[in-house]
Amino acid sequence: MGDIRPVYLEEKLKEVEDSGRLGYRSKALPTWCPGCGYFAIVDAVAAALCEQCVPYEDAVVVSGIGCSSRFPFFMNTYGMHTLHGRALPVATGVKTANPALTVVAVGGDGDGFAIGGGHVPHAARRNLNITYLLFDNGIYGLTKGQTSPTSATGFRTTTSPYDNTDRPINPLMLLLSYGASWVGQSYAGKPEHLRRMVAAALAHRGFSYLHIISPCVTFDKTHRTYVNLGTKIRDLPADHDPTDKLGALREAMNDATPAIGLYYREERPTLDDALDTIVERAGGTAARERVTQKQAGRKTRG
Amino acid sequence: MSTDIQIAIVGSAGDGTIAAGDILRRAMAEMGYRVISFDVYPPEIRGFGKCIARLRVTDEQAYSLKPQSDVLVSLDDSHAIPHVNEAREWGAVIYEGGSVGPLAEGAHISAHIDPGQIPYNAPIRELSEKSTGSARSRNVVVLGYIAGLFRLSVDPFLRALNSKFKGKADVAKKNEAALRAGFEEGARWFRLDDIAFGPPPAKNGGATVEMISGNAAVVRGALDAGIDNFFGYPITPATSIMERLASEMPKHGTRLVQTEDEISAIGATIGAGFTGARAATATSGPGLALMAEMLGLGVIAEIPSVVYVSQRGGPSTGMPTKTEQSDLNMAVHGGHGDAPRIVIAPTNVEGCYRCGGKAFEMAEAYQTPVIVLLDLYLSNRYETVPFPAQPPFEADTNRYADTRGGKAAGFKRYALTEGHVSPRSIPGQAGGMHVATGLEHNELGRPNDQSAMHTAMSRKRHEKLKAALKHPDFTAYKRFGDEGPVEVGVIAWGSTFGEALEAMILAREEGIRCAALKVVMISPFPTEAVAAFMADSGATLVPELNYQGQFAGILQAHVARPVTRLARVTGEPMEVGEILAEIRRLAGRTPARQAA
Repeated sequence: MGDIRPVYLEEKLKEVEDSGRLGYRSKALPTWCPGCGYFAIVDAVAAALCEQCVPYEDAVVVSGIGCSSRFPFFMNTYGMHTLHGRALPVATGVKTANPALTVVAVGGDGDGFAIGGGHVPHAARRNLNITYLLFDNGIYGLTKGQTSPTSATGFRTTTSPYDNTDRPINPLMLLLSYGASWVGQSYAGKPEHLRRMVAAALAHRGFSYLHIISPCVTFDKTHRTYVNLGTKIRDLPADHDPTDKLGALREAMNDATPAIGLYYREERPTLDDALDTIVERAGGTAARERVTQKQAGRKTRG
Repeated sequence: MSTDIQIAIVGSAGDGTIAAGDILRRAMAEMGYRVISFDVYPPEIRGFGKCIARLRVTDEQAYSLKPQSDVLVSLDDSHAIPHVNEAREWGAVIYEGGSVGPLAEGAHISAHIDPGQIPYNAPIRELSEKSTGSARSRNVVVLGYIAGLFRLSVDPFLRALNSKFKGKADVAKKNEAALRAGFEEGARWFRLDDIAFGPPPAKNGGATVEMISGNAAVVRGALDAGIDNFFGYPITPATSIMERLASEMPKHGTRLVQTEDEISAIGATIGAGFTGARAATATSGPGLALMAEMLGLGVIAEIPSVVYVSQRGGPSTGMPTKTEQSDLNMAVHGGHGDAPRIVIAPTNVEGCYRCGGKAFEMAEAYQTPVIVLLDLYLSNRYETVPFPAQPPFEADTNRYADTRGGKAAGFKRYALTEGHVSPRSIPGQAGGMHVATGLEHNELGRPNDQSAMHTAMSRKRHEKLKAALKHPDFTAYKRFGDEGPVEVGVIAWGSTFGEALEAMILAREEGIRCAALKVVMISPFPTEAVAAFMADSGATLVPELNYQGQFAGILQAHVARPVTRLARVTGEPMEVGEILAEIRRLAGRTPARQAA
């Protein structure tokens, strides 16, 4: 796209520079529309990585395909921009091969719950030690506005000119059922809340799922606007206990007025732990040490 | 060869046919003979389907089974009768002769044995019942009978039995009784001069010879090459690769994950490859079809990955327990866009070991997916393989970039270089940050769809692979048989090469000037070598196990010369006799005598 840098992007870049978090942001300017909720997410992730002192080279951001999945290009970390729906399988390989890396998978509602819906349960049940950020704008933006699995019933788009007759899924209930060990929700219109939630998700040891509600300012002028979302979205009740799974499910069921905050959290062995246990049972612990050293040796190369 | 004996045991599922074949080949290998063995069994776990265990015992490693067996054993006449003519003239047919109940005419095998074949009426059931109290040890009785008839020591059989049923004392005792009962019965009969085991070949120094299946050899190659990660989804006939790795890898401190599907398996393999790990997956045709899109990502993002593919009958679910070579087009061309990758197809079990390990070297050296293409016949075939004392694989063939002092403009992960392979960086390496993307990109890895960039990057991805044809210590192709001009040249790939070579050798014995070209690397295609071979050949024959003649098609896209296709889809290995007949026809020879 050459050298065309719209004014709003220049302003955005200045904002990022001023924040002192530029290190985690690449010089590539986001390709998102003015006003897109995703700008807030990239800021939040950069801030959270910065807070956790993750070296740039030790972070890998893995995405699928879609507006949200352009994300890795805007980060100054290692990144993989893979196939539609396949961020989680690829992230599984990255983390399993090198558990020392901080791995963040990102993607949209279509990527995660339509084409890639078969992978989510397995990453969750294995307790893969990564963070999965799901950017939910309820629409396919990159293909210029078609319904997604989280689109409202009755939503008119280019592929549903007589209304969307399907009903939306409830991602939070799914993830709670799949066995995700950390489930939270945030809103792109609340940057500070978002930053705190991303940081908490990154800090969790295990599979952390953060559902981020966002408007699509270009292709949805009726359902998910900042105005509509602003009136609907509420905080989780102050007395919500994040270790109570049934309570979390009950809150998640109420998707008419979505609540943001930490729904559920548990500590249990991760996939890395399980694989280490298997190695131990097979008597390969000493060999594992050599593999880890080989891994560490690779990074000092060059 | 002083010893060259092929034994076939035919029975019904539940007769212990395959188990008997396994013990027989283990015993033969322990005695020091070379063995090649391939079993046929039905797809159902339970039932009454036909089972055949076949093994050929030689002094030097044979390349295939023979068209006819020297010894045929029937554990079930209804299944064995159609195979009586598989025993050669003056071959032995061993069958249940004890108390045969009332049978429809022709239902007993004795009525079908050719006068030229030598019948051995053995009281198999009776011996089993007498020695063990049940008829369940008929398969072991038969093994003892074979040992007795051919004057072989019973000890290697006992050891093979005990290692197969280890830990079960009562079973071992019964087996020994049955084996000895069969042995004594067999030893009562005259020794056959025509079918005799010579002394086993002397052990050669250095290498240890082991009897191993194609899939087990792939696993050993992967382990010896230092595989770090494996991700897979079970599918016949590739499952045993994953099963073996699941038990072996943890002992080496490495990790295996059973994924939710094949898309996830290849995705995780590529994710692991991105971190610098040696990672692989294994599948069959249906799984490879699901992996096609992700392999394209591996190609464009230039990430090493290894995919072991064992073909079976297709399309769709096809024939899961039958062999076929019909996934070649998909392996070479599968997926969208111009997505060149390396495809290597071993031709025997030793080749499975070498390709199994070398694939990692190539994946790293050329930064690409490497498909190792086997088929059921090769995966499940057993051969005695000499393993070198030191694994013949390099531990790390990556070309790493020096990213120290990081360039302000960013790291050029996809730098256009003379050799077309760009130095790479891996996560954890400071200053090497970049995004691996499935979008067309510039040298920095940033999305770029300019005409000149797509042209330059496409060229890079294609040209870099050419060096693989000369990959160090790897045989991409090899000529056998007569040098110089020949009447018929046979070009074969994968498991069928064994039968092609055997047929070529037999044709030469008949006085036909003949040569065979083994093609292991099919992508990139060894155009020069194939063209030179064809220039030497009066006629070129390409036998393969698919309907279209897929290899012949690929060949003709590179070398515009006529070939004769011998394409068969029987679900069984190609028959040596059929290739031989075609060589004779192309050489203008009338067969000396028609096959029986």
